[in-house]
Amino acid sequence: MNVFDRIEEFARRRGIGVAEKGESLPVGVTLLTAGIAIAVVSPILWILLRAADVGVDSSIALLARPSMVEILTNSVALVTTVTVACVLLGVPLAVLTVETDLPFRRFWTVILALPLVVPSYIGAFAFVSAFGPRGVLADALAPLGVESIPQIYGFTGTALVLTLYVYPYVFLTTRASLLSFDGTLVEAARTLNHSRREAFRAITLPQITPGIAAGALLVALYTLSDFGTPAIMHFGVFTQAIYVEFSTFGRDTAALLSLELLAVTAVIVALESRIGGRGRESYAGGGNRTTRTSLGAWKIPALLFCTAIAALSLAVPLGVLFMWLTRSGPGFAGGGFAFEWTYGWNSAYVSALAAAVATLAAIPVGYLAARYRSTLTSLFDRATYVGYATPGIVLGISLVYFGSSYAPTLYQTVPLLVFAYVVRFLPQAVGTTRSSVLQVDAKLVEAARTLGRTPASAFRNVTLPLIAPGVVAGAALVFLTTMKELPATLLLRPTGFETLVTYIWRVQDAGYYGQAAVPALVLVAVSALSMLVLLKQDGSLVSQEGENDA
Amino acid sequence: MANRDASTRRRFLALSAAAATGLAGCAGGGQETQTTTTGTTTGGSGGDFDLDTFQGSGSLAENRPELSGTRIEDLPDLSGTLNIYLGGGEGGLYRNLLNRLRKIYPDFDPKVRSAPTAQLANTLVEEAKGGSTPADLFWAVDAGSLGYVADQGLTAKLPSRVTDPVPENFHPDDQWVGVAGRARAIPYNTNKLSAEDIPNKVAQFTESDALAGSMGWAPTYGAFQAFVTAMRILRGEQETKNWLRGMVNQKVTEYPDEFLTSNAVADGEISAGFANHYYVLRVISSRPDAPISLTFTNNDAASLVNVSGAQVLKSSNKQELATNFVAHLLTVEAQEFFATRAFSYPMIPGVPPVGGLPPIDELNPPEIDLRKLSNLEPTLRLMREVGVL
Repeated sequence: MNVFDRIEEFARRRGIGVAEKGESLPVGVTLLTAGIAIAVVSPILWILLRAADVGVDSSIALLARPSMVEILTNSVALVTTVTVACVLLGVPLAVLTVETDLPFRRFWTVILALPLVVPSYIGAFAFVSAFGPRGVLADALAPLGVESIPQIYGFTGTALVLTLYVYPYVFLTTRASLLSFDGTLVEAARTLNHSRREAFRAITLPQITPGIAAGALLVALYTLSDFGTPAIMHFGVFTQAIYVEFSTFGRDTAALLSLELLAVTAVIVALESRIGGRGRESYAGGGNRTTRTSLGAWKIPALLFCTAIAALSLAVPLGVLFMWLTRSGPGFAGGGFAFEWTYGWNSAYVSALAAAVATLAAIPVGYLAARYRSTLTSLFDRATYVGYATPGIVLGISLVYFGSSYAPTLYQTVPLLVFAYVVRFLPQAVGTTRSSVLQVDAKLVEAARTLGRTPASAFRNVTLPLIAPGVVAGAALVFLTTMKELPATLLLRPTGFETLVTYIWRVQDAGYYGQAAVPALVLVAVSALSMLVLLKQDGSLVSQEGENDA
Repeated sequence: MANRDASTRRRFLALSAAAATGLAGCAGGGQETQTTTTGTTTGGSGGDFDLDTFQGSGSLAENRPELSGTRIEDLPDLSGTLNIYLGGGEGGLYRNLLNRLRKIYPDFDPKVRSAPTAQLANTLVEEAKGGSTPADLFWAVDAGSLGYVADQGLTAKLPSRVTDPVPENFHPDDQWVGVAGRARAIPYNTNKLSAEDIPNKVAQFTESDALAGSMGWAPTYGAFQAFVTAMRILRGEQETKNWLRGMVNQKVTEYPDEFLTSNAVADGEISAGFANHYYVLRVISSRPDAPISLTFTNNDAASLVNVSGAQVLKSSNKQELATNFVAHLLTVEAQEFFATRAFSYPMIPGVPPVGGLPPIDELNPPEIDLRKLSNLEPTLRLMREVGVL
């Protein structure tokens, strides 16, 4: 047990400390946080500017159009379905890998988290080529006399693909809650003659609800802002309609739709605050676990369940990518399509920068939100979610406008691109930082202060080392989502700056899918590495190691 | 739509390099690469001006007739940095052309920014609202985007010496000029149908007995949706719906994209289909003996012609270089590049299209404002209402 563990152990025994409500906010940190919140919300101004051009009457007429109503209902239906499905998938999988004697738990932890590294547009593409009309499956079944297979396009396909690629958000946050939650409580319940199921419902579930809600929030907002999957699956939702408006040069209508989308976002964020906010203190706790539930006869079905999820979400896209790779023959000599390894380096470079900046910005926001809970601090905290739900293309165009208007020297440079990524992905870092800060006993900080440390010094020497794993996990999450980001990258990158995703876009758009295989595999491999970092940091792999020894 | 498409395309590319057989229907001597008529120009930089380096290889690039028009050597040198916004995915091939130009002019440094066409058009407009754009030139695969940027008053008028060789409708106001075209076409299986079996109006396809139960289309594909949009604009929503329903009653088969549709025609899986002309040429190029040919309808949505074109931004301080670059895109060499490598319709009369196709001015496309084609939403809605999406 190292020093870090010992401090954590101590903190755990003392209970989880949160500053008293009403304690006055530190001015410096508050101003800094306010600045960050304003900066990441600022691109939204563009939406307001353009939407204002439309005028109230025509706005109402536009939004009341039947097709717009359909888009709203489609989007709400999709978000609801995907979120519920992700919870139904992510929570049992988290419980299986944390609470039970599932064989090869560490292997499954990694495998079940990995779908998050597959860009949804690649996943959707793979699904269409595997299960679409004239796809692999149809071809395989054709000799057997199967004329047609169920339609993959539309609502079902979109919901299925999104669920398979974003459930890991719920899986990861639920795992984190389960790992940090005090198992002795369950033991106590069991000694009081509660069944496993009763104990889970009465004790475990309320404790991990904030974690589930945090993951569900990320899922809901990701679903709302994802463009690739609904576009490939031909399902009319906000992002798709916004994209169509941009293609038809209806930027005002696009802005109006974006505004409506942001309203939906606000509703979702508020809902999560109600569920996740309650008892957020208890989100943290000690991973004091003595026994695991034995699966018994359920071991085989549980393994089959995990295998099925992995096969659908990982084997399908990887299989299709490898098929593209092996079928691609001696190659097309077109110089414009030659793959260069610098694309991979460029991707990693901007993603690392985005992760670093997002982490630095997340620390004050997350710290303040966790330590000093007030309307103001939670407003700052929630404000960071706005960019996350804004479709990349809207953010991209908005920064095109602001960049070329007010910062021509920054326009089409890496700093502005990185800013866009931070706006888009900051909440992922804020979320992990906030929950880490919640786990730090405030009394430790007080102790340091009474020993004469300045607040800054106390933060550096006590809080920061304790929250480091959570902060690094957040950085890894930002890194891997930045690697996948396409629309803002296309619009804001420096001229001539190619990344893995811009290259994939180029060859796929021209129809040379075989050429997309290598960069897509590199993308998945690099992101997978950052996923390992993430799992190690949140203690999933480390603590299990210990438990396996025991 | 991916894997088969990918593999077949790749196979085509591999084959087209090796193929030595003449195209069926095209007067076919089997020479390897014919250089006699196309000839080599006598530029000072030796081989760099060689038309062969611009010409594609394979069956479709053979037996090219005498080509005429402005040659690269007739134009002033390109020199300096040029910021090009390149809209659309054909960008890879276009970059290839840029590299060739760079070889000829070591001082020429084109800086390319590529993104989906409409997004770049929106970017240009937002940049103009914000101040000025870094772009000197906008080169887009879709005339609608070019028209939109021109409508915002952001472009400079191209001199007539540049645009004159191009048919009028592909430089309507000289705010942009077409450099390569694509036509909607009807590929058909020559063992099953003859050109006469195919009505010359797409409206009659729903009643044709020859086409009953034997046609294919790709309703999820962008090019097909643009065709339906054209029909909606030309004939109205109700008639378009009726036509779509009529095709469904004809038991039309669905394919993921138009390259696969064309391949299915070549395989005899279907007798005819809807596709952009170059997909058919790609099939012919990869399978020179396949029983496939193509025909065009007459003055209706199914005979639409769209172009890739270029325009110079008014705010650019490199007007001369940008204009000279556009002129380069309309040289015999560049046009031959588009014709033999991308199977596009060349825009100058001195360079005929490959595959024995009628020249562009013999096609009879409908009169339509191409920028309206990007209004996809009502099209998608009515396709969904009819149940083809």
